[in-house]
Amino acid sequence: MINEETLTLYYYDDGLTENERRDVELALVRHPNLAAKYAELRHQFESWREPDEHRIPSHLVYRWQDSIKDAAMRESTDLQQSNAPRTSYSLAWGGAVSVALAIGIGIGVYFSTNTQVDPVVDNHIAGSPVVVDFAVPVSFTRGLQLHLQDSEREITGLTVDSSGDRTALVMQIIEKNRVFERSAKLNNSANLARLLRAFEPILMRLASDDLAPADAAALRSQLSFELNVMLTKMAQDTSNDSHST
Amino acid sequence: MVSVMKQASGPTQAEFQEVIASRADRWYSVCLKITRNRDLAEDAVQDALLSAWNKRHQFDRSARLDTWIHRIAVNAALQLLRKSRPGIREPLETDVPDEVASLDDARAEQELDKELTMALQHLTEIERVCFVLKHLEQWRLKEIAEELNTSIGTIKQAIFRAVKKLRVSMANRRSA
Repeated sequence: MINEETLTLYYYDDGLTENERRDVELALVRHPNLAAKYAELRHQFESWREPDEHRIPSHLVYRWQDSIKDAAMRESTDLQQSNAPRTSYSLAWGGAVSVALAIGIGIGVYFSTNTQVDPVVDNHIAGSPVVVDFAVPVSFTRGLQLHLQDSEREITGLTVDSSGDRTALVMQIIEKNRVFERSAKLNNSANLARLLRAFEPILMRLASDDLAPADAAALRSQLSFELNVMLTKMAQDTSNDSHST
Repeated sequence: MVSVMKQASGPTQAEFQEVIASRADRWYSVCLKITRNRDLAEDAVQDALLSAWNKRHQFDRSARLDTWIHRIAVNAALQLLRKSRPGIREPLETDVPDEVASLDDARAEQELDKELTMALQHLTEIERVCFVLKHLEQWRLKEIAEELNTSIGTIKQAIFRAVKKLRVSMANRRSA
């Protein structure tokens, strides 16, 4: 007896032996009812294949395109450095300093934005007093500091030779980073979210299992440096806040 | 020098940009069907793209770039789903429908307000994943079993149950 399960596997052309397939074929020829049942099943299966993808927000497409652009730019910088071995040390520092500067500017923008939009009472637009709190909660800032400290420590202690361990560890850091990125977005801190996202292409490269140990070591140093810059800036800002209060 | 030549033979940045513009909808859609979570689907596509970029010298020029990235995205979605819900490897003990558990999931359903996608919410996670991989992605049963670290028999049963539930669900929707 040919049941619906067998017809399903027959349709998929998978999971039946040659003999079983032949049995189904014979049965379909001999039994019109079964053939009709199979035709209906096939019609339904085909209708489920109709594409139902939808338009995604354009910012997502831009974000994904940017990530490839960033990865390509980073690679091109790395390539230039490796092609100039005599000056690689100074170039590496130059690169690190420029990245740190970019991140520093980003952090500056982020913190200055936040100081400008401290909790305010907006009673001009709404007509009645509405507290608009754009500031990132202290608990979030503290959590982010801990995440950056942990990441910095883990990356510094990373064994560059064992790619499997490296990949697993870096993927964990990426996941944590994404949680903070999303929290930053939810807290209306687009700049901070962007800043955290900027770490991702470097982390993904570091997680790559075909990365040469020398490249892994260079990326590790770069990340460690950048995380330290961000941490220092955050510590300074926290210290300034406590002095001013 | 060899590595430079190898990299030069891979897809270019422009090709990546083009394929993202034209096919990202599809990658995101399948990742969303697998994960039923918007953030996970976004992350899966992001992971897939960076992974594909880093390994682009391994890309076989006789294949299509969008298909290659599609497959990487599906794997990335499965990986993220496993990490977020480790129970996917041993889910067949129960037959509890995958409930709309969070706002994220609910938003994902709204985004994919299509008949099949809506019907998929009545399936358990293993049923949904097996059905998507078999029916929409056309993976072999053996591949699915290997990916989910289970037996072919288990995968078959999950697909049979998924098909049964989907047929009932679709019929109900049409008669409603």
